[in-house]
Amino acid sequence: MSLFGLPLATLGALFGGAALVTTVLYILKLRRRRVFVPFAPLWQRVLLDDDANQLFSQLKRWLSLALQLLLLALLVLALGDPRWGSKNDGRHILVLVDTSASMKSTDVAPSRLGAAKIQLLKLVQGLGAADRMLIAKMDAGVTPLSSMTADLGDLTEAVNRLEASDTRVDLRRGIDFAKDVLTGLERSEILLVSDGALDKNVLRSGELKDTKCSYLHIGHSSANVAVTAFSVRRYPLDKSRYELMIEVTNSNEVSATVELRLLGDGILVELTELTLEPGESDSRFYADLGGVSRTLEARVVARDPSLDYQPSDNHGYALLPERRRARVAVVTRGNTYLEAALLLDEYLDVTHVLPDAYPPAGAFDVTIFDGVAPPLDERGGSALYLNPPAEGGPVARGKALRDFGFDTWDRKSPLLRHMAPGNIQAASGYSLRPEPGDTAVATSDFGTFLVAGKRRGHDFVALGFDPRDSDFVLRVGWPLFLLNTIHYFSAEESDYLSAYKTGEVWHIPAAGDDEALQLVDPAGNQRTLPVRHGRAAYFGDRAGFYKLVTRGEGPKQAFAANLVDPVESDITPHAEITLGAARPVGISGFHDGARARVWIYLLLGVAALSLLEWISYHRRMTV
Amino acid sequence: MMKLTELFQRSRSSGASKSRKKADLLFDDAFQRKLETLAIVSRRVFAGRLKAERRSSKRGSGVEFADHREYTAGDDFRFVDWNVYQRLGKLLVRLYEEEEDLSVYFLIDCSSSMGFGDGRKFDQARRLAAALAYVGLAKLDRVTIVALQADGSSRMPTTRGKGQVFKVFDFLRGLQPEGETDLGARVTQFVAAHKRRGLAVLISDLYDPQGFENGINVLRYNKFEPYVIHIVDPTEAIPRLQGDVQIRDCETGASREVTVTDGLLRRLAQAMRDYHQEIDRFCARSQVTYFPADVNTSFDELVLNVFRHGGFLR
Repeated sequence: MSLFGLPLATLGALFGGAALVTTVLYILKLRRRRVFVPFAPLWQRVLLDDDANQLFSQLKRWLSLALQLLLLALLVLALGDPRWGSKNDGRHILVLVDTSASMKSTDVAPSRLGAAKIQLLKLVQGLGAADRMLIAKMDAGVTPLSSMTADLGDLTEAVNRLEASDTRVDLRRGIDFAKDVLTGLERSEILLVSDGALDKNVLRSGELKDTKCSYLHIGHSSANVAVTAFSVRRYPLDKSRYELMIEVTNSNEVSATVELRLLGDGILVELTELTLEPGESDSRFYADLGGVSRTLEARVVARDPSLDYQPSDNHGYALLPERRRARVAVVTRGNTYLEAALLLDEYLDVTHVLPDAYPPAGAFDVTIFDGVAPPLDERGGSALYLNPPAEGGPVARGKALRDFGFDTWDRKSPLLRHMAPGNIQAASGYSLRPEPGDTAVATSDFGTFLVAGKRRGHDFVALGFDPRDSDFVLRVGWPLFLLNTIHYFSAEESDYLSAYKTGEVWHIPAAGDDEALQLVDPAGNQRTLPVRHGRAAYFGDRAGFYKLVTRGEGPKQAFAANLVDPVESDITPHAEITLGAARPVGISGFHDGARARVWIYLLLGVAALSLLEWISYHRRMTV
Repeated sequence: MMKLTELFQRSRSSGASKSRKKADLLFDDAFQRKLETLAIVSRRVFAGRLKAERRSSKRGSGVEFADHREYTAGDDFRFVDWNVYQRLGKLLVRLYEEEEDLSVYFLIDCSSSMGFGDGRKFDQARRLAAALAYVGLAKLDRVTIVALQADGSSRMPTTRGKGQVFKVFDFLRGLQPEGETDLGARVTQFVAAHKRRGLAVLISDLYDPQGFENGINVLRYNKFEPYVIHIVDPTEAIPRLQGDVQIRDCETGASREVTVTDGLLRRLAQAMRDYHQEIDRFCARSQVTYFPADVNTSFDELVLNVFRHGGFLR
């Protein structure tokens, strides 16, 4: 037994002093209350018997003193916090609890993580007297839930706070965290609580050679059917329609029949039954779908529930980009190709203006200048310059170009999305000289002719040739280029990301000028996200639909997040794993009652003795 | 016969002192009205100088026939029973019981123990003494009140007639319970000072360290008729005490440390009962009338019922 509270010398001094005071107080005769009686001889008669018992009374007094000293000794000993075991043999145990999506599997009741928590609570209760433990959750990140502490209350609370996320586990990050924490600590140990569905290859072969590793294995079944890919997009030229891709994977060793349900705006729009062979992934495209304005959700439901123990990967979420009309002003003396191309998108409000009549009344999202470049009106929005003149254009015009084409271009530029401009040829035009900060989107071997940038707070795109002097207008890329540009200006990208992937940091474009936004996650929890450079950063670990709310009556944004991770959907448990050079063994060194707090029992003993003394006093047995 | 209340009213109207008004609380109107219905019954008849409403063993000039005896020279011819002489031819003289006055002494224990607690015992003793004294006065008995005090006995001079009852009240009102009890010595003083024998009503709690028997025996041996009224306060047998205390005798000051327990209190109550039985047995053995008077018993009940049923009053 060791003392974890006050040292023995201090306890001895405390007991000595307190015992001395107690004894002195006990020996000192207390002044008794004086009571008058009418006839003392009557009392004398009664007290004759007591006089005969004087020796016994004295003995009872000493017994009472001994009892007081015993109570005092118990109290002082309680201050020492005695515990079984030695004080110097404590371990430092770092517990990494896998809280990835696979731990939501229900092949063990109530879930793998639930079972892990039950096991972990037993381990906490079985900690040695000098053991210390730190509990951390490990999914796509690592979050310590306690300090390296011996406090059972803190550790129990940490265990209770464990919650599985919809992310893949990052073992590399977890092991790095463990190594950092255990550096310099004696008798350190890593306890991994997991189903073993880990990417062990992230560890180097010689890693963890000198570190004791234990492994608490959870789970016994690999039965699972999952949505492993899910994506949706609107058609660029018909935003009322969309197409969808979904991949469903059967991880079972037997074939599985599943129902694939598609819900648009919460209403079932498609129901398909699939039969998947063992290990098969079935990718399906659903083209030309309509009737949904905002949310799409895919669900797979196994016909046989015993073939699907992982519920969290049975969903795919997507949010269709919001449709709104873009106001476009076209400043031209007449351009059939331009006007015809703009007719393709019914969500454009096009206003035609002669150059002399510019600026027109009203505000616009985009202004297209066809061969002219008057000063851009403040309400004109962003500007697309087609063959801008030498004067007035956003970029300086360079040398004249002849018979040139798209020799190099920015393949990631949203302006050229869905296009293959390599074979477009222009008869004549001019090179453009982008200024610092501008982007050269396309160049020929002779010079840059497509530039994007910002002037006086307005985005612009300048094309250095008249499309009519090229075969551009004859190609399908022409209306695509125009619509890409308009969507780019109006922040309505046709490759709108339908869903984020969980377990990553999301950089969410933020509407408005707020410096902070309120994020509402799928569970309804709210948190404030700071906005930097027009984007709010957030580490997402939950699949589902999110909302971003600006202050006041600002616009609301929504987005979706999906797990869709084939690795995490493989919930096959592994009873034995290898971590670098370490081969974790089963847990040991945990014994029930090892952390019993003796001082509590000492205090209970004091209370019991006090109660006995109180009863005996009031029953006049010890006085 | 003038009633006591009328006398009392006259006294009040004549400007009684404040102390008299204070005494009124102890001897109020209701108390005084009840006194007029009481009379003392004495088992012995003593010779007296004045005729009173008691029959005397001495034959004399009373009106109630007692006996005959043979005529002797010198007898008054008026008492010769001529009817008997005519029938029997013998001269017999009628004898009549002579009514004489009775000396009644009230010996009031004025030790500290009588005033113990809230003084209910002493008040009860004074009210009983006042009641009995009034009855004696009303019957033209010779009433003497003697206070048995530690520094000697003080007495109210012998008086007769109920008009003197306020002297009784004043005397009783002026008494204070203090000092130790020594009934033997105090009663011896009383006997030495009062040669005229009579009824000696001892009113006391009988808490005498020297023994309660001493005082009673002195009265018996000196031909007084003792009548013991034992003032009893039951709460003294079951004091509200608990724990470690130092008990101190209210008269002697003798002290002792004691731890009061329920068992001790039970034994104390038993000792008190034994003490009362001891007194009772002693009085019965000595043919002394003994009457325990509980302070919790209302005065009305005590005087009008208990005493009457006990043969003390009629």
